[in-house]
Amino acid sequence: MAAVQETIDQVKKIDVDQYKYGFETKIESIKAPKGLNEDIVRFISERKGEPQWMLDWRLEAYARWRNMTEPTWAKVSYPKIDFENLYYYSAPKGTEGPKSLDEVDPELIRTYEKLGIPLKEREILAGVQGARVAVDAVFDSVSVVTTFKEELAKAGVIFCPISEAIREHPELVKKYLGSVVPQGDNFYAALNSAVFSDGSFVYVPEGVRCPMELSTYFRINERNTGQFERTLIIADKGSHVSYLEGCTAPTRDENQLHAAVVELIALDDAEIKYSTVQNWYPGDKDGKGGVYNFVTKRGDCRGHSSKISWTQVETGSAITWKYPSCILRGDNSRGEFYSIAISNGRQQVDSGTKMIHLGKNSSSRIISKGIAAGHSQNTYRGLVSAHRKATGARNFTNCDSLLIGDKCGAHTVPYIEAKNSSAHFEHEATTSKISEDMLFYCMQRGLSQEEAVALVVNGFVRDVLQQLPMEFMAETQKLIGVSLEGSVG
Amino acid sequence: MSVAQPIKAQTTGRPMTVQVLKTKAETSLVEAFAAVEAHLPGGDWLRQLRRAAIGAFQAEGLPHRRVEEWKFTDLRALMREAFPLAKAAAGAAPALDAVAKNALPGADLSKSAVLFVDGAGVAERGISEVSEAASPFLTKLIDHPPAWLESEVSEVSGHVGDGALALNTALFSDGAVLDIADGREIETPIALLFSDADTTPRTVVTRNVVRVGKGAKVVLVECHVVSEGPRQANTLTQLVVGDEAEVVHVKLVISRAGSIHLGRTVARLGKSSSYRPFQLVAGDGVVRNDLSVTFGGQHATFDLGGALLTNGNGHADTTLVVDHAVPHCTSRELIKCVLADQSRGVFQGKVIVRPDAQKTDGKQMAQALMLSPDAEFDSKPELEIYADDVVCGHGTTSAEIDPELIFYLRSRGIPLAEAQAMLVESFIGEAIDKAEPDVVQDAFRTLARQWLAGHARPLKS
Repeated sequence: MAAVQETIDQVKKIDVDQYKYGFETKIESIKAPKGLNEDIVRFISERKGEPQWMLDWRLEAYARWRNMTEPTWAKVSYPKIDFENLYYYSAPKGTEGPKSLDEVDPELIRTYEKLGIPLKEREILAGVQGARVAVDAVFDSVSVVTTFKEELAKAGVIFCPISEAIREHPELVKKYLGSVVPQGDNFYAALNSAVFSDGSFVYVPEGVRCPMELSTYFRINERNTGQFERTLIIADKGSHVSYLEGCTAPTRDENQLHAAVVELIALDDAEIKYSTVQNWYPGDKDGKGGVYNFVTKRGDCRGHSSKISWTQVETGSAITWKYPSCILRGDNSRGEFYSIAISNGRQQVDSGTKMIHLGKNSSSRIISKGIAAGHSQNTYRGLVSAHRKATGARNFTNCDSLLIGDKCGAHTVPYIEAKNSSAHFEHEATTSKISEDMLFYCMQRGLSQEEAVALVVNGFVRDVLQQLPMEFMAETQKLIGVSLEGSVG
Repeated sequence: MSVAQPIKAQTTGRPMTVQVLKTKAETSLVEAFAAVEAHLPGGDWLRQLRRAAIGAFQAEGLPHRRVEEWKFTDLRALMREAFPLAKAAAGAAPALDAVAKNALPGADLSKSAVLFVDGAGVAERGISEVSEAASPFLTKLIDHPPAWLESEVSEVSGHVGDGALALNTALFSDGAVLDIADGREIETPIALLFSDADTTPRTVVTRNVVRVGKGAKVVLVECHVVSEGPRQANTLTQLVVGDEAEVVHVKLVISRAGSIHLGRTVARLGKSSSYRPFQLVAGDGVVRNDLSVTFGGQHATFDLGGALLTNGNGHADTTLVVDHAVPHCTSRELIKCVLADQSRGVFQGKVIVRPDAQKTDGKQMAQALMLSPDAEFDSKPELEIYADDVVCGHGTTSAEIDPELIFYLRSRGIPLAEAQAMLVESFIGEAIDKAEPDVVQDAFRTLARQWLAGHARPLKS
């Protein structure tokens, strides 16, 4: 069954030519020379005032990267990236180092206002009490401001740019940086480890429930610039944190590279919820321009009964290559992945997750919805594996895809590897499971068949969307109407 | 009948930069080709294909885990050494009657059968009554092949595909040729029997070519039952199913430790045709069955069933590519694995729906039941869809026997071992129900029961 008109209209509203964050901020910036070599790595490290151990770590990553080749297994195609023709560091003039908001260039503040990101604490406080979010705003290669730091510090939560954490909390950074995504993990992770310039650092101490949502907002502004941010979140025993990530970029004819690394560590009984609304510039309708999003995101449920939950809504990027994963190392740990990926125009999405069960009774759940329209290609690629010792591991996977039009493609590449007999793995596509009884019930109450299908399936999609924190609901409102009737497994 | 390229889809995703030293097995296979090349059947056209194939094999080597389609079956690691190529009539060949009557319990396949011993055709019965080909043996035809045979063999051999396919093209010595005339409805199953003369280790490479005419009906029973000796068999069956034809194709592989069976079926289906293969694999050897099915005409149906029973260090891999190249076709796959001891089951299914193939209906399901904590199941049910008005689903599950069901049965007074046997049998039975005709289904049920009795160790109570 093909997609119904309602869905087609909804997807049209978020088509690539409707991108509304494509403005450019005119601001002077300081850049490192184009290209990548050891000197650039040293330049970035020096610029950030980093200690020697950090520089050594970067140089080791750079040495590994030089011997690696770009991965080609994903179902995406793009012209070869010239890594020598990129700026690896770009910072708005006068914004380096932590600053109070008064010292930040007003042009930058206006940019974030335009994007709907509140940076002034007073204004936020004037709003609804319950909706407070602490924001770390990253502009090209640097963090321009982090809000609510003092209030968070009272609770013992450390929330700051990672460059600051390297200086102020070296013991934590040394212990955890690269422990989930090592320097040589993959081509883009190695590149990131060598040249990452900023990103967020979060440490939630034992037993603390983070008093507010934490958020980072990434903005690429400068031309020909790669953004390489690094996020490290540590939830100590029994703690809880919810983290949001948003990202946009100006409309440009050339492609921009974004290669981030996100590492999450959940110790005993801790919980991390990581939500992303990915809204990078997707290129125009002929596929010109757009962001290449090559991201390594991985969470490590290191302690027993720990939990990591990834939620993502993806509408942006020319190319997405992203697999937020969970290593379920602790006994009784749990991993979750909820995703809606919508591709339009000439976008190519190759995304999914990995759930690696190592601990006893670890469980995971994967709900993925892919919608392809226009000339786009949308691939779900996922791995669920149970180690020999992962007795009692459980997984449920459900991935649906929907095509709108006959020029696009939707693909599913799940890998299921069970090395333990007591592991229960289920992988299925729901489409075939819309029960006739449910449809009959709705229709018997006077709904048309189309309305009935929309009702049943929409109810299911909402399940995913409800995993997003309240703050993101506005951005995702338009997606809520997108139903998945007519989807194919 | 329009022809889409049948096996090209399998060649993607290979890293081109990996340079690996040749293994002992690879070197000896290339040497073996040089030694026997002059004696291999076929004219110049085939010789050139064989040379191209061995060239490709030399470059690619045996498929290994870095080759996506062989990710779970690392042939380079599994085939440490290559056995010498079988020589025709090395020992005393078993009689056709004996093999035909013992291949399937309770079924007599001797009415219409071809027998191959160590890869060489030795006997046949009743084939001339059903097949139009001048001989049922490929060796007898391939030097001066009829046009259709040459074109079919060239078609598949021209695709280099992977190392296993290249080896088959380079080295095949014989095989069955069946040409079923338009409209022929043949009730008696035609048996393709593969046996051996003695137990010395050897490599056997065969190629079968079957053409089924428009509106014809045929049942093929392919049995690979060998004695205790270790074997490395590489067998490929090419199948052209004509418009409105119906083909049932059951395959039995009894595998033994130390043996490797590389089977491949390449099928092209005409419009409104129906192709229904079923595979039963049992034992502790390495078995890989590749199926590549292309829909060449609309309203055709492909319906695969499979039961894989592995024990010891056994390894059973079913890899499938179904190419919906035209609209309005239906594909169904149901694979069930029962895994005992340290054995490993693999299912890889790829369903491709081409841009114009609207109204495609595809469903695949792979399920594994693990009887031992050391067993392993790997599954990759893949969909590649370019058309927007289709229904495609896939599913895969893996688990051990549900202790609650065991408890239920035991609470009704059924002893543990028996309760377990009942549950395993009902699990595998769902797949075996798809096997046709009845006589084969009964035989498969018996074989499955025998295997279960020997390998389904009782759980701890």
